[in-house]
Amino acid sequence: MKVTPEIIRYEFIGTEVKVAKSRNPGYVGIAGKVIDETRNTLTILHEKKRKIVVKDSAVFHFRFSDGTVVEIDGKLLVGRPEDRLKKRIRRLW
Amino acid sequence: MDAATKRIAMQRIRTLFRLAREIFHEDPALAQRYVDIARKVAMAAKFRLSREYRRQVCRHCKSFILPGVNCRVRIKQRREPHMVITCLNCGEQLRIPLRKGRRKQSHE
Repeated sequence: MKVTPEIIRYEFIGTEVKVAKSRNPGYVGIAGKVIDETRNTLTILHEKKRKIVVKDSAVFHFRFSDGTVVEIDGKLLVGRPEDRLKKRIRRLW
Repeated sequence: MDAATKRIAMQRIRTLFRLAREIFHEDPALAQRYVDIARKVAMAAKFRLSREYRRQVCRHCKSFILPGVNCRVRIKQRREPHMVITCLNCGEQLRIPLRKGRRKQSHE
């Protein structure tokens, strides 16, 4: 998968994720499969338990199905899954 | 709407339906959630789900249906040959005409 700013428009449910940084120290190190997504949170299956992580306050490492690992600031991911599909061409970096 | 949006939307729908099928036997509620997201993605991109996926969603109650699990698929010869899909969640039926010479209709 090519890494472009468009990546924020793809599906994150089903990808492997690791919380790399967070304002909430309890979130750091949570790793597992994304099983649900809402406007502000990701639900991660961490050691067979569902953990809900607020997107806005964390930096995630996503591993897509083809093995590419991408670091994404959760701030860019805020938005309902169906709304992320559109008009998110931002230049923040 | 541009072609890139549509391409991304179709890819997301494929992923979501695949995940829904995989998880269905463990957690039907989560599978239903994935299908709802897939439908919303299609609506946001303003296109109809392809036939393959439309057949996996009850036309009436929009629940995720799998043949032999929560829907009944029967071929009827009366009047016109047709296929009847009964959703076992809401009990409503969907009829699909089967005519000669038309291209093969898949349910999977």
